[in-house]
Amino acid sequence: MPESRLPNIRVWLLGALVVASLLMIAFGPVFLDRFALNVLSRSMIYAMLAVTVDLLWGYAGVLTFGQAAFFGIGAYATAMVLTHLGSSPELLLLAFVLAILVPLVLGVVVGWLSFGYGTTPLYATVISLVLPIVVTQVAFSGGQWTGSSSGLVGYATLPLSLAGYFRLTGICLLAVAAAAWIFVRSDAGKVLVAIRDNEARCAYLGLNASRIKIALTAVLAGVTGLAGFLFANASGVVAPENTGFVFGTELVIWTALGGRGTILGPVLGTIGIDYLSASLSGQLPFLWKLVVGALFVAMIILLPNGLAGLVGKILPRSKGSRGEGGPLRQAQVMQVPQDVVDKPPLLTIHDLGKSYGSLNVLQGINLTVQPGELVSLVGPNGAGKTTLMRCLSDGTESISGSVSVRGANIAGLAPDAIVALGVGRKFQVASVFDSLTVAECLRMARAARYRPSLVHSSQELDLPSAAVEILKLTALDGMLDRPVSALSHGLKQSLELTMVVALEPQLILLDEPTAGLTKTERMTIGTILKKLTGELGLAAILVEHDLDFVREISSRIVVLHQGQLVLDGTVQDVVNSELVKAIYSGGAHD
Amino acid sequence: MDRTTRKLLFAMAGGLLATAAWAEDPIKIGIPVGLSGANSVVAPSVVQSAELAVEEINAAGGVLGRKLQLEIADDASGAAGAQKAFDSLVFQKEVNAIITMETSAARNAGLPIVAKGEVPFIYTSFYEGRSCSPNLFVNGWVPEQQVPPIVDYFVKKEGAKKFFLVGSDYAFGRGMLEFARTYLEKAGAQVVGEEYLPIEGTDWTAIISKLKSSGADALITSTAGGAPNVTLTKQLRGAGIKLPYGNLAVDEGTAKSMGPDAAGIYIAASYVTSIDSPANKKFLEAMQKKFSGELRTPNDLSVPQYEGIYLYKAAVEKAGSTDASAVLSALGEVSVAGPRGTVSMNKQHHAPLTMYLGQVQENGSVKVVETFPDVDPGTQCPNL
Amino acid sequence: MTILLDVITTAAILFVVAAGLLAIFGVLKIINFAHGAWLTVGGYCAVATTGMGLNPWLALPVAFAVGSALGGITEVLVVRPLYRRPLDAILATWGLGIVVGQLITLWFGRDVQFTPNLLSGTINVFGLDYSFYRLFMVLAALVVGLGFAVLLEGTRLGLSARAVIMNETLARALGIDTAKVRLTTFMIGTGLTALAGVLLTPLTSVDPDMGLAWLIGAFMLVMVAGSSFGALAVACLVFGGAQTLVSTFVSPVLGGITVAVLCALVLRISPKGFARA
Repeated sequence: MPESRLPNIRVWLLGALVVASLLMIAFGPVFLDRFALNVLSRSMIYAMLAVTVDLLWGYAGVLTFGQAAFFGIGAYATAMVLTHLGSSPELLLLAFVLAILVPLVLGVVVGWLSFGYGTTPLYATVISLVLPIVVTQVAFSGGQWTGSSSGLVGYATLPLSLAGYFRLTGICLLAVAAAAWIFVRSDAGKVLVAIRDNEARCAYLGLNASRIKIALTAVLAGVTGLAGFLFANASGVVAPENTGFVFGTELVIWTALGGRGTILGPVLGTIGIDYLSASLSGQLPFLWKLVVGALFVAMIILLPNGLAGLVGKILPRSKGSRGEGGPLRQAQVMQVPQDVVDKPPLLTIHDLGKSYGSLNVLQGINLTVQPGELVSLVGPNGAGKTTLMRCLSDGTESISGSVSVRGANIAGLAPDAIVALGVGRKFQVASVFDSLTVAECLRMARAARYRPSLVHSSQELDLPSAAVEILKLTALDGMLDRPVSALSHGLKQSLELTMVVALEPQLILLDEPTAGLTKTERMTIGTILKKLTGELGLAAILVEHDLDFVREISSRIVVLHQGQLVLDGTVQDVVNSELVKAIYSGGAHD
Repeated sequence: MDRTTRKLLFAMAGGLLATAAWAEDPIKIGIPVGLSGANSVVAPSVVQSAELAVEEINAAGGVLGRKLQLEIADDASGAAGAQKAFDSLVFQKEVNAIITMETSAARNAGLPIVAKGEVPFIYTSFYEGRSCSPNLFVNGWVPEQQVPPIVDYFVKKEGAKKFFLVGSDYAFGRGMLEFARTYLEKAGAQVVGEEYLPIEGTDWTAIISKLKSSGADALITSTAGGAPNVTLTKQLRGAGIKLPYGNLAVDEGTAKSMGPDAAGIYIAASYVTSIDSPANKKFLEAMQKKFSGELRTPNDLSVPQYEGIYLYKAAVEKAGSTDASAVLSALGEVSVAGPRGTVSMNKQHHAPLTMYLGQVQENGSVKVVETFPDVDPGTQCPNL
Repeated sequence: MTILLDVITTAAILFVVAAGLLAIFGVLKIINFAHGAWLTVGGYCAVATTGMGLNPWLALPVAFAVGSALGGITEVLVVRPLYRRPLDAILATWGLGIVVGQLITLWFGRDVQFTPNLLSGTINVFGLDYSFYRLFMVLAALVVGLGFAVLLEGTRLGLSARAVIMNETLARALGIDTAKVRLTTFMIGTGLTALAGVLLTPLTSVDPDMGLAWLIGAFMLVMVAGSSFGALAVACLVFGGAQTLVSTFVSPVLGGITVAVLCALVLRISPKGFARA
């Protein structure tokens, strides 16, 4: 790893901050009064929650009000054990374990409910609203078990002084914040951003976005439960409002004001606002809420990334803090695995039909594709080409007939499972990750194959040789550090194609890969496709309008018209066909 | 800014300025109270009566030659806000005592903090009972004191045999009605229904339909104060319910402003404005003089607050200092004659009280129907 | 029989409360989390109107006017910049709800306010004494529902709105002033919500938080209903009915969370809710 890079201002600041935090945690109790210690202990627990909200909302794009519920469950689990069972060290340990485990398990269930395949992003928010309402109601109805509206109080807690709690929560907050900081910069952390940017692309890169989000929800629920354990001990009381929907919204407000999508922002935002409100709101309760509410609205509209986002813009961006390209390595030379050659055909479509209500979009399609073929799918607009592509890459589409990839029926398989069978799909409009760099996008394409690290941020990029070749042909290899949002339309198309090739697929589906490209770019893509199929033995299905381009590169052409496959033959057969001419001149109606 | 808040700020500023005139540091009394949230309807009246008490005591020479000073903080009517308020009062303002009415959640949230800070806590609200702590004294009523007057009256005077109980699903609502059920069954009456709605619930339809079909001949409700109480009463009247109706959670002020819907409701309280005693008349006049147009109707929460400050004064004088442990041991022994009569928190940190059964009249005033002197709080904290 | 009336009237109340939210969500695809605040504004319009000694019924047009005026300001200042960020729009409108709630508190105080009943007493239906006002709410729901049907089917605005619902880009290409359609829809939605606030006053107390209790229920119903008033009516009947039945036969405490939980489950099974039905 190159060590030549000088640490810049950001890294210095960060180091200084960690040292300052450690000093503060160690010596804070010496000069802070009891009020500050007590309030800050609680604020720091809330700050841990804000970090979890931020990971979900700021990074993974899941707006959640539900963290309050997990927090409350952790706190209630602790308080209930200590109230009803007693307070020996063993029981404290039991409380600790339950406070993490119960939210974790519930997190899996909530995650499963929230992120089923096909649910909308809004649905997760809906669930996150219902969860605290239900949990609060349980707390109210729990009678003596939960203390109803009065909550639980008077149980024995960890035997710590005010200073002890201050240090304990300080260390926990520092640990949680540091872990989050490392995680969001790791390769796995980038996956979250990729999911937020473009969940469909993630699925078509073989990533099971649902499962990742469920795991994230569950783990963060566990962390939140830990915060609940600390809270139940430090405050000595647990009440229904600690688990309610309003508290959930407050966490989001603190995160937003501090700056979502950063780690430091929500931490400082939460501590600052909570401390200020403890000091001020006693005197001006309504005015305080009014000011915070108005600030929040203004912030969401004008500064969606909060104060930290503003500071981040001013400070120079560190090269090391965002995954740059690093040396490009050709880790593997792609070759056709033996089993494919053994068992042709690669793709078999049998009597495929697809209809929306009474409208038949596809009917009676039969098609077989062998390794090494480059099949072009042509036909006028509305012929069903894009629908056909979708039916080949998403097994959850309801169809009649069957589609098999390498002998396996894809019915019911989600896109990521079909990617695992060896199918890569390129969309019509370039589908990439706008918040990432070129190198990070390419790494995302490898994430399904090689589990990304939760800690490290890779400096290398391992790509199959074919992908490397495309990068070189399109000059993208010199732009690995560049943010994708700064790429031209043509380069985005090329990048997406490289990402699909980096999946090492055996069948590539391409929907108008040359649309909007210049002549040179089109030539480059043509060259690449010919090489992939001709030399490496992949198969490709290409939807294309440019008949000249089709004629030049295809090994076979299939004509789709009004949902039916009307012609399937060599380039020569099709080009000379009267039927095709008639279709394209708009005359043919069977 | 609303008038009460503004007045509060002035009062606090005034308190600070006046400090200089006194030889010793003032004795600080912390009032964490729900200036916002559910209790904010009643909180201003509580602050007013506390201000009057402090003014009177200071005018008469203070306590042990020291002036009393109020420190008010908003507890947002809940646990989280109460933690902030108690932290601020106990650790930052370093008050000598906490005297206040709060929600049960807020009181519970404050208890660990007064224990850490070793501060006496006089709780001046009626509540569901059985909150026990060495630091805590209570001068409001508990179910054992409030339920019997209504039940006895309904059974004996109205001839009611079948009772229907309705409450908000929270500690007070459940606590009151659980006691009511036991008491009713002991009195030989029958409970034909007991229903709860979530505390934020707004739709009582199903419960009212059940009430109608239950054949009950009396109704007792114990909802959260303020909105749920008003909502239930409106919907009951809308549905044409005209049974004898005992409301365990309505205060005089709310009943007054509820208009014709409230007429006929029975309430039981340790304080109603119409108590015919010289002490009460003097208190009401002083309140009227001090606050005139801004006056909030004194009620069953604000008057115990007023007396609570006098109780604390008496305890400090008996103990000879503000030392917490000395004051705590004195608090159970002193008594104070106030608008509610003579009050002493001598029964396991709770107070025997004279209870009044009142009925809301068409014009909104509360007419005392019957008086029950010195009702015992029963077994509240046998371990104290 | 009582149950049947309870179900129908509960559904009617839910429908009236959720209609304004649906109008906005249906056309603008924005979830207006200030919905509760607009209900509260309506409630306080009733307080102000009757406080001036005017006829309580007059509060209805007053609330509609005030609600739509405030809605217009909100659309321009808060919602317009957020059409491309729907999740942020939820948050911004939630924040706005806090601001509105605090302003009301500072102006009117925190106290529970009282308004004279619009209609009081009971009426005899099939041998049962039933709340006259609850039955009136059924009429109100029908008027609101039919009003929208006429508005959508019979007016130019409705036509434009339907075009925006189906395909906004196309609508704009056809020369429809989509910005104006949005503004008008938002104003109608908030005006209607404030009107619903007035209609709630005989059933609930009026205080700065009165709208909040209705927000989640209305939100869930609208999620299930999508953009169709017919679907909303069905959703209100089904879930309002479920709430009444659970409250009656199981427990009112469970009844209180029935709408939210059932709606969430329905959306899990069928992400589009009743919109396709």
